[in-house]
Amino acid sequence: MIPFLAVFAVALCVALVIVVISVMTGFLDMVRSSGKTLMGDVVVSYPIRGIPDYERLVAAITAKPEAAAATPVVDTWGLLRMPYPAGDAKESEQIQIWGIEPASFAAVTGFADTLKWKAVPEDTAADMRWDLVRQHASELLDGMSESQKVLLLRLTARDELDGATDDVVRRIVAKESPRDLQNRLGLLSFNLADITKVLGPEGIAVLAEAAPRLWNPDIVISDGLTLKRNGRPAMVSGLHVSKANLRTSTGDYAISAGGHWWMPRFQGTLTTLPIDSRGGLLEPESVILPFANEFSSGVYIIDQSRVMVPIETVQRLTHLDASERVDPDDPTRVLSTTPARATMVLVRATDGVDAETLQAAVRAAYEEFEQAADKAGRKVPLLGRDPGLGILTWEQQNASFIGPVEKERELMRTLFSIVYLVCGALIVAIFWAIVYEKTRDIGILRSIGATRIGIVHIFLLYGLFVGTLGALGGIGLGWLVTTNMEAIHESMSDPPLWLGVAFLVAAASMLLWTIWNRQNGKLLPMLLGVLGSLVLAGIGVGELLIRSSGGIVLWDPAVYYFTEIPHTVDWTSAWITAGGAVICSVIAAAIPAARAADIDPVGALRYE
Amino acid sequence: MSNPLLQTHELCKTYRLGRVEVPVLKGCSMHVNSGEFLAVLGSSGSGKSTLLHLMGGLDRPDVGGGEILHDGSSLASRSARQLDRYRARTVGFVFQFYHLLPELSVLENAMLPGLVPGGVGAVEARKRAHELLGRFGLEHRLHHRPRELSGGERQRTAIARALANNPDVLLADEPTGNLDVQTGGEILDLIQEAHQGGLTIVMVTHDQRIADRADRSVQLIDGRLQPS
Ligand SMILES: Nc1ncnc2c1ncn2[C@@H]1O[C@H](COP(=O)(O)OP(=O)(O)OP(=O)(O)O)[C@@H](O)[C@H]1O
Ligand SMILES: [Mg+2]
Repeated sequence: MIPFLAVFAVALCVALVIVVISVMTGFLDMVRSSGKTLMGDVVVSYPIRGIPDYERLVAAITAKPEAAAATPVVDTWGLLRMPYPAGDAKESEQIQIWGIEPASFAAVTGFADTLKWKAVPEDTAADMRWDLVRQHASELLDGMSESQKVLLLRLTARDELDGATDDVVRRIVAKESPRDLQNRLGLLSFNLADITKVLGPEGIAVLAEAAPRLWNPDIVISDGLTLKRNGRPAMVSGLHVSKANLRTSTGDYAISAGGHWWMPRFQGTLTTLPIDSRGGLLEPESVILPFANEFSSGVYIIDQSRVMVPIETVQRLTHLDASERVDPDDPTRVLSTTPARATMVLVRATDGVDAETLQAAVRAAYEEFEQAADKAGRKVPLLGRDPGLGILTWEQQNASFIGPVEKERELMRTLFSIVYLVCGALIVAIFWAIVYEKTRDIGILRSIGATRIGIVHIFLLYGLFVGTLGALGGIGLGWLVTTNMEAIHESMSDPPLWLGVAFLVAAASMLLWTIWNRQNGKLLPMLLGVLGSLVLAGIGVGELLIRSSGGIVLWDPAVYYFTEIPHTVDWTSAWITAGGAVICSVIAAAIPAARAADIDPVGALRYE
Repeated sequence: MSNPLLQTHELCKTYRLGRVEVPVLKGCSMHVNSGEFLAVLGSSGSGKSTLLHLMGGLDRPDVGGGEILHDGSSLASRSARQLDRYRARTVGFVFQFYHLLPELSVLENAMLPGLVPGGVGAVEARKRAHELLGRFGLEHRLHHRPRELSGGERQRTAIARALANNPDVLLADEPTGNLDVQTGGEILDLIQEAHQGGLTIVMVTHDQRIADRADRSVQLIDGRLQPS
């Protein structure tokens, strides 16, 4: 009984450390890998005014063997007017606009993998088919044979025509006006099978031409990858930009209004305030762009505030596009030309090249770019001279963020070593009690020739056993909690009613059982029973209280940046922790073991 | 029979209670020859157990307080290791209160001395335990815990344990002190049987009738031994 308590304590401590360290390590890993996903390894940035002739810079960088790919970006802030709600009262959101070259951008970042929609979601597809059929009702009706119309009537009239023969229905069809029939088309339930039967291949062909992506999911992805819809420039917004995307308890997304507000069906208006060369504000620029797809990088602040737009469009919006200054008196005379500019160039390292090496290579490339510009008489921002110009690795750029998280993890490790001390103290106390209890037995062992080392050995082995069992249990428990983090968090933010009720029922039955089994007035079982049921009832009531107050959200994506809680066990740390626990247990056991060895056998044996 | 198997010479043992010194043994000289059955008689508190513990190497006499010789060599000159070995191989203790390990079965208790360093080893110990327990009429109790046994059965288990490593001498400390006359008699029969098998025995008792069973007896009075 008592040794089990020790095993349990060790297991709890180990599990606690494993869970905390795993979550923090997972968090750090997410921060690190999100950098690669979002920005590549090294960023050349020159905000607002932009780097002119950036194509030359990109070429100079990609010429370096350390760089796998490079891509220009124009970033700015603006407003995005969302398509919802309908009418004039549409919402606007402040948004970070990234102008990108889709192909090279996807080569540098993980953009392609972050695209959310691989096909039109089924709810949305039904909704879209309904829209399409109504839009093309008259054309579709013209193409329908009589038997298809009969089927339409049967499908939409439901039970009224149940007994009627085809002839009767045919007569009704003849009497219906084209308008009535068109309305009937709108009454179809929009599953694909019904539509296909009623409209026939010709009708479907009409629809497929009007909305090809409904029948060919590849278009949904390729639209996102090329920032195009129907061949026109389009944008890809972060998944949390639209308030219509609702996160479900399974971690997936549902689209509000039964799939109606799927962003790639709509368009939005982007508005920016361009700045002139002297830093003054110019007239606002705006552009209407359809949504092509949505991206989900997993980094909440990014998914909530960023939209990807073709680079040319953003250059126009920010006046960073190529422009000519002409003589006011003679508009055909070009006084000077300004090349298009990019505010960032993102670079990805060749496999096996670390960010620092790449950074040095990019610096060298920039110097070459600078010298070439100097020779040609072009003006570019100068490295080391222009404070606005930065060539930083992703970690350097986010050092103020990553640094503290790393420190925090180390702090946690240190703080939790105190847990080991608690564990150790517990084992010392428990084993001390055991030694006290076994004093006579130790005397007996000595009397039959057991050595002092032998006695120490027994207790150390015992400590090793308790520590190992506890550590293994702790690893199991830690693994269980860590991998089920999402579910646990979910049940805390929205605790199920049955759980609270179950605890209360358990408490009540334990109390009843205790009263029922009042064993001849023994106090200890009574006390344990009452305490146990009180604890259970406390958990139950607490759970219901949490439920009534709307749950506790521990992992708020807005605070922790990521929409997902890390849920993979950091095995290195886990085994180190477990090993530490075993060593601590053995060391702790050594203290009572030494006492046991020092027991005077004569004293131990003297009395019964 | 040149050397006695065990011999004590002017043995002194003093206990210290706070600042008060309590001399228990004040110069005990005696010897036990190989194959002899010696009884040590003495009233309660006279120091019989103390003497036995000293002879068994469980305790050491006062500094300069005489010596104990085993086969002519002094125990005082032996290291702690050698004393552990001495307890394991040379002597076997039997106590008034049996002193069995409560968590182990009868068989395991009887095997235990075979497992300590210097013991006969697990295989041999098991064989011997089976044989002894069988001889002592305990074959149906092998897997019982000590608490499930009667006092006589416990003491028989304890004797089997004392004989596990085939010792030279059995040191019995009032082995019948906790038993009724009939059961005590049976235990003494066992001991005598072992003696007839060639075992040397030193038995401590306060009962003259029990001492009569021995070849020879000495009396412990006022910390000194005298023939009786
Ligand atoms: N550790 C100790 N500290 C102080 N005095 C002790 C200690 N051990 C024994 N004594 C005392 O030494 C004396 C002899 O004890 P011992 O147990 O050897 O007597 P005994 O002859 O075996 O008695 P009994 O017949 O009751 O078993 C007793 O008076 C006892 O109180
Ligand atoms: Mg005694």
